[in-house]
Parts: sequence; structure tokens; C-alpha cells
Amino acid sequence: MQRIGVFVCWCGSNIGAVVDVSRVVEAISTFPGVVYATDYKYMCSEPGQETIIQAVREYRLDRVVIASCSPRLHEATFRKTLSRAGLNPYLLEMANIREQCAWVHQREPEKATQKAIELIRRAISKVSKLEPLFESIIPVTKRALVIGGGIAGIQTALDIADAGYQVILVEREPTIGGKMAMLDKTFPTLDCSA
Amino acid sequence: MVAAAQHPNITLFTYAEVEKVEGYIGNFEVTIRQKARFVDHSKCTGCGTCWEKCPTKVVSEYNLGLGTRKAIYICFPQAVPNKPVIDRKHCRQFTRGKCGVCQKVCPAQAIDYQQEDQLVKEQVGAIVVATGYDLFEWEQAYGEYGYGRYPDVISGLQFERLNNASGPTGGKILRPSDGKEPKSVVFIKCVGSRDAAKGKEYCSRTCCMYTAKHAHQVLEKIPGSKAYVFYMDVRTPGKGYEEFYLRTVHEGVRYIRGRVSKIYPEGDRLVVKGVDTLLGRPVEVTADLVVLATAMVPSKGYAEIARIVGISTDQNGFFMEGHPKLRPVETNTAGVFLAGACQGPKDIPDTVAQASAAAAKVCALFSRNEMAVDPMIAQVNQALCSGCMECKKICPYRAIESRTISERMGGKTVERTVASVNTGLCQGCGACTVACRAGAINVKGFTNEQLLAEVDALCL
Repeated sequence: MQRIGVFVCWCGSNIGAVVDVSRVVEAISTFPGVVYATDYKYMCSEPGQETIIQAVREYRLDRVVIASCSPRLHEATFRKTLSRAGLNPYLLEMANIREQCAWVHQREPEKATQKAIELIRRAISKVSKLEPLFESIIPVTKRALVIGGGIAGIQTALDIADAGYQVILVEREPTIGGKMAMLDKTFPTLDCSA
Repeated sequence: MVAAAQHPNITLFTYAEVEKVEGYIGNFEVTIRQKARFVDHSKCTGCGTCWEKCPTKVVSEYNLGLGTRKAIYICFPQAVPNKPVIDRKHCRQFTRGKCGVCQKVCPAQAIDYQQEDQLVKEQVGAIVVATGYDLFEWEQAYGEYGYGRYPDVISGLQFERLNNASGPTGGKILRPSDGKEPKSVVFIKCVGSRDAAKGKEYCSRTCCMYTAKHAHQVLEKIPGSKAYVFYMDVRTPGKGYEEFYLRTVHEGVRYIRGRVSKIYPEGDRLVVKGVDTLLGRPVEVTADLVVLATAMVPSKGYAEIARIVGISTDQNGFFMEGHPKLRPVETNTAGVFLAGACQGPKDIPDTVAQASAAAAKVCALFSRNEMAVDPMIAQVNQALCSGCMECKKICPYRAIESRTISERMGGKTVERTVASVNTGLCQGCGACTVACRAGAINVKGFTNEQLLAEVDALCL
């Protein structure tokens, strides 16, 4: 039997002011596979992550659902948390109850709370099917290509080259310098641009 | 510029274009087309005899039409490399089959009319796109400014060339029409910027400041001159910017808040009709020269670069960053980074900052000998794969190849084709999983079984 832990975030008032977080936690505690559910003001904070790690150890959780913001923001954060707790970082599923729930249903707290429960039900269902994944390793060629020899390309090329790596700088015009070399003086210091 | 050319770790390809990019983060193979210069740069000393003697004069692109160059030329005196190329479209040797003056006068025998384009292949681990910007073509859109018919209505960049000591006038501000010094100069801001009807909706960010600089230069270089600036807002968000703008106001630049409705010639001068919205009345200024602060647009050929490198653009053609706040120099293609105005209008301080940021990202990647790749990528179940290769057609990252496998079947060994995913190239977008009729491809972490479990949880 799987041992799923669910962690619901308030994101301060972003989620907490709309969704009734305590009721959500109460409802999801009864879902199959869930052995632990809790909430916290900021799950991504240091004490928030510590809560997750402690719970994984104490309740021997093998899968984790985090209901908070969009995974674009903190999925990488929470994968690391799982690693620190000794779990495979890919046994994580996030339910976005901020962008896709609290923020867009601010005037309907009752329905938003119901939707949050449904979104977490979905995440729990998916997390139960997840399998551990492992990163593969590829070699890195330590040479860079910079396309464009204006001020942006020149600065990038010089910085990479100064760090000791080879750079290939490609410019389509007969000279490097780009638009900046065409200028006379440059604001706000009025130095020469070439 | 010279620092880049002389750096032992930098290989410079000028007059060259990236033609093909294959591979993936840490392991790209790029093909560079070195266009024929018809000058052997290993022999050329840059002495300049050839372009002095060349009989063909061509309008100079570098001076934006304000001067001429020869058919064998360097763009400007400090050009890097300081060695010429032959413009075959205008060179008499190519257009008429005879001339050969440059070849005869070259003391280093560096001229080679037989030279051809060369394709060079290079292995790299990371790519930084820094293709910059071009100016909005106001001549196509702004009839009220004369559609480019009046020679003394010029762009800000043309004004820079007039001001530049290596430009067509040797750094003197002179009217393109008659070479006279203008005593009254009108600047118009937001030409193409912040104008959804005729130009672009966005603010080009640099024009307020360079217009302030231009107005300052007019007053500084031309005694007794007057400078007028028509503006919508003055935007000076940068260190020392507001102070610089106020300085130009105190120097006597007249700022008029309002748009210009019409420019028309009167004698050898131009009449600029507009409105002063702070006074609430129409204004009319007689000008000798009008300078337009034209919008920044992506550099010509941006779509081709996006296609070759495999990155996306926004609705205006600027390259898309990974995230507007948190991943401003990354793209959504691993190993490809952005620097400068190709990502959005930017001034020099911001460009330099972003360029250094992109370099730091590249250096972080290079600090390791190998790297871990995201495991959430496509995986083929060979037992189910029918080898139809629909997935290969749809894959935007060219990550799927066909592979022949041998199987024991009924005591015999049979060979058949199946799809195979290149783990370095695959970005886990999932397009292939939708195309696969047999359900043989799954993105790890988003398998059909896992997705259906989600659907069931929501619907049942």
C-alpha cells in the first residue's frame, strides 16, 4: 500500500484568503492512500520544507503531493526537498491551487475550496501511478558559439573567453561592432562608443 | 572590439553566417558559412591601397545612405578585422568581367577573384544568440513625415553617423540635402514605438535618452542653434538618466508634449506642425533638420535564426526568454542563451549586463565535464512500435530517429524498424505521444496510464 503525504500551502493570503485550507486538509485526509495531510503558511520556506522532510521520515511517506503555486515556480524547489528527505525526486506531483484556483476564483471562496479539493484529488491519483525516474548523464563540449558581433555578442564572448573557455564569434557583416560602433557618444556618460 | 579580435580564446568569423545547428546541449554541431571576401586575409595587410584606387562608388550601408564607399571596402576606419571585402554585386570585375584594379595595385597579392564560400563545421557545447536589432522602417508607415521623400528628415541612427568623427561628414552635423549647418533641429520621439495603429505597441526604451543626447549635441556643436523635442512621455528609468535629461532641459532644449501631425517643405526648410497638449494649442516649428526616434525591431533574418537554432519568438519577433523574470537569458531550448536587443529593446548598460549574465550561464554549464539531463523525456516501447515514424515527422526538436532491431520470431530472426529517442535532444514536449497511433511512445512522468488516472479522478 502506498503512503502518500499531502502538503497544502496558504501562500500567505494568495491561497489562504480564498480557499478554506483547513477544510481542504480535512477532506483530503480521507482519500485512499493518504496517510498524512497538513497545511503551512509558506511551504517553500525553510520551515515549510522542513515540515515535509520530517513528515516523510516520521510517517514513512513514499510519495508526496504539494498543493501550492504553479509547478513552473517551485517544482524544482520541492524536488530537491524530496531528495533531501531521501525520496526519489520524481515521486512528486503538484496541484496548482493558486494560479488555477485561488487567483481566478477570488469572489467565489466556496467553489474555490471545492475546486482545490478536486485538483488535489487529481494529483493524488497521479502520484500513486508515478515511478522513480533517474537523470542520465551527457558529456559537455566546453566551447561556445556566439551569434552576432555587436556589443552583446562581444561582451558575452569576452566574458566566456576570460573564464578560460574557447569561443567562436560569428558576425554576418564584414566587421564586428554592430550598431554600437555606428554611434557617436553614448548616454549618460557621453563616452565614445567604438 | 579589438580586445575580442585579439583574445587568444576567441575565434572570429566575420562576413559569415550560421547555416545549420544540429545536436543538443553540451553537444552541438554548427555549420558556418564563411562568405567569399575575394581578399585573402592571411596575406592582406590592410594598407588601404585597393579601396583608394577602386573606381566604383557605392552608397554606404554603414552610413545609412549618407555617404559612399568603394566596391572593395572596410565599413569604417576602426573596423575589426581592418581588412577589406569585395562587394561582388557592384564590383566591375564581377559585373562587367573586367577591371582588376585592386588586384594590380595590391602589394601583398591578396586579391583572389576565384575565392568561394566555405562551409566550416564546429563542435560547441552552448550557443548564445546576440543578433541585435534593426530600425523600424518608418518610410513605409508615416506619410505625415513624408514617407522618406524629404532628405532632411532622418533617423536617429543617421544622426549618429553625422555626429561620428568617422562618419560621412567627419563629425559635423550637416543637412543631407545641401550640406549646410542646421540652426533649428526638431526631434520626434516614438516613431513606430507606442503606436499600435502604425507601428509597434511596445516602448523601445532607448529613444528618450538618445534623443536627449542628440539635442544636447546640437546645442553643443552648433552655436546659436535651437533644439525642439516632440514627446509623448519622457521615460528615464536608469542610473543617471533623469539627471542627464534635466541637464539637456537646463541647457535650453525645448520639450513640447504632443505629436506631430505633418511635416512639409517650405523653401529649403521644413515646417513641422504639431500640438502642444500641455498648452492645449497647435504649434508650428520651422526646422532645418528633423530627426526621428524610430522603434527598435528585431534584426533582419531573425526568423531564420530562430528556425536554425530552434528557439521561439514573441509576437513582435523578439526571441523568447525562458521566463520573463526568473530565466531572462535562457531560452526554452537547453543550451541556448540570449543576450541583448534580440530578446527585447534594450540600451547599452542593460545589454552589457545581460551579455555578462549569459556568459555566466555558459560558464556554469562548462564548469562540469558532464551534466545531468531531465529524465522526463519520451520513451519508446519497442514491442508496441509499428515503425510508422509519424512521431519523427512531428518532433520539433528532431529528437527521433528510426532504428533497425532484430527479433526472434517463430524460430527465425527478423529485422524491423522502430522509433528511437535521442535523450539529449528530447525536451519532453509530448508531441510524439499524441501522434503515436499504437500508444507506443510515452513521456516519462506523463504516461498515458498516469494521465488517464488524473482524468478518472476528476471525472468519475
